[in-house]
Amino acid sequence: MESTFPYSVRLKFPGDLDYIAPVRKFVAEMLQAVNFGPKFAYRSEIVVDEICYNAITFGCQSPDATVEIEFSIHEDRMELVIKDPGKGDRSNRERLRHAVDGNLREADRKAGAKKEKLGLEIVKMLSEELNFEIDNNNLTSVRVVRKREEVSAKP
Amino acid sequence: MGSTTIDFVSAQNGSGATVVRVCGELAVDTIPKISETFDTILDKHLPFVVVDMMGVSLFSSSVLGHLMGYREKLVSKDGDLVLAGLSLEIKSELNLLGANRVFKIYNDVQSAINSYRWDREHISQSLSLSFPSELRFVPAVRQLASRVARQKNYGSRDSFRIETIVDEVCNNAVEHGKSGRGKDVALNLTIDREKIELQVVNETDPDKVAVLKELSTSILKAPEKPGSAVGTDRKRGRGLALIKMLSNDLRIDFSEEGTSVHVTRRRGE
Amino acid sequence: MESQIELEHEQLKGVANAIVVRFVGDLDATNVEFVLEKVCNFINEGHIHIIADFKKLRYVNSTGLGVLLHFNKSAREKGGSFKIANVNENVYEIIEIIGATSLLEIYDELDEAIESLK
Repeated sequence: MESTFPYSVRLKFPGDLDYIAPVRKFVAEMLQAVNFGPKFAYRSEIVVDEICYNAITFGCQSPDATVEIEFSIHEDRMELVIKDPGKGDRSNRERLRHAVDGNLREADRKAGAKKEKLGLEIVKMLSEELNFEIDNNNLTSVRVVRKREEVSAKP
Repeated sequence: MGSTTIDFVSAQNGSGATVVRVCGELAVDTIPKISETFDTILDKHLPFVVVDMMGVSLFSSSVLGHLMGYREKLVSKDGDLVLAGLSLEIKSELNLLGANRVFKIYNDVQSAINSYRWDREHISQSLSLSFPSELRFVPAVRQLASRVARQKNYGSRDSFRIETIVDEVCNNAVEHGKSGRGKDVALNLTIDREKIELQVVNETDPDKVAVLKELSTSILKAPEKPGSAVGTDRKRGRGLALIKMLSNDLRIDFSEEGTSVHVTRRRGE
Repeated sequence: MESQIELEHEQLKGVANAIVVRFVGDLDATNVEFVLEKVCNFINEGHIHIIADFKKLRYVNSTGLGVLLHFNKSAREKGGSFKIANVNENVYEIIEIIGATSLLEIYDELDEAIESLK
């Protein structure tokens, strides 16, 4: 028996770049399984890739750190939350926050912050909503909402 | 040495890896400090060193030569010296000098440590997933498992078998489990260099439990002869028989909470 | 281990110092090192005109884009060029989003890219 929207998926994986490719493809394929089109799936794949890359590179700087993804697939959108423990250097996390806010400081530019800014620019362009939170324990959550381009269930 | 800093961070969180963090310009005048740092590392018999180069803006060939020398010493003691966090410009310069053929280069420090721990400390890694109990999601789940295995250097044949195991286990979970809102399938995958362990748990349809118990008992006890457990006269249980043939260990636990299937498959068998 | 990517290459006949490099697979953070090394070697060996055929390149992320921009810069610094052909619409969209369409030379067809060198 098939249930109806929304579908919820939770995934937890090691903070290891090796997992990014399988995980992003997994998200894309889950979307296509409920008839979201290939273009939507591809763009979502990019979003997952970029956020996970940042989560791992800046948030998982300890051996047993994990990344958690929760995504829910609604009839007209996908909501995605990616969390990392934020055990990285606090200054790195602030730099990331600035990159999300589009406020990259000159010092960060020189320090090579181009990579995450580029990635987040892409995520911003492909998403209707992008929010970034760090709690008191350094747990970082990035929340993204992507709205479906077409309403009908055509591939 | 100006504003260049070289910080020696001792072994990280129980791993055998040591991080040397460098910021600024690695010019000739930094060689004394580099020597001091690495002589300390050698004295302490620390085998694996990651040089964190994320804050480095210049990397002179003299310093590179020095690091090569230290790397040789570490390698002679079955260790290594690797580089992490290099900018594209510095990476290109290193390629020009052929240094990329000598040093392993990683995107960041943690990637380097992960690789070391995987190869030398034989750690295992776990992935857990919860997905709605519907057949249409199973292909994506089995592909996830297969791709993780491939990323961890399992061969294509092994990865295919793992994919088949995940497929059959998840299909059974969905077909015989409760479905509907909140009735998810929970999967846990643990992988190391030698084996992969899979656990799939879900709530079983209570009308099916007795039959499933009997079927699984008979299949698990049946002799392993190719074709015998999957004969055309048996309409049910082929998936389970296939899982059994592809795995080194298979266990099924039935309880009030649900059915839990545990599979172990050793690499390369 | 890296995501699957392969690079096939062949010298371009009739054009000095030019090479066609076919990208096959996905270009992401796990395989940029490999791609960087290969293409930088081509440039350093004197193949300063690189035509990247993306017909079989399914996917590229920001790390991959960064490397492509780097190839463009490296080739131009040596008096050469880095041209891209056969970009699929998904990959093109990502290039467009970051504003790199004005930085990279992109052609619809491989023949057009080759012709531009003559």
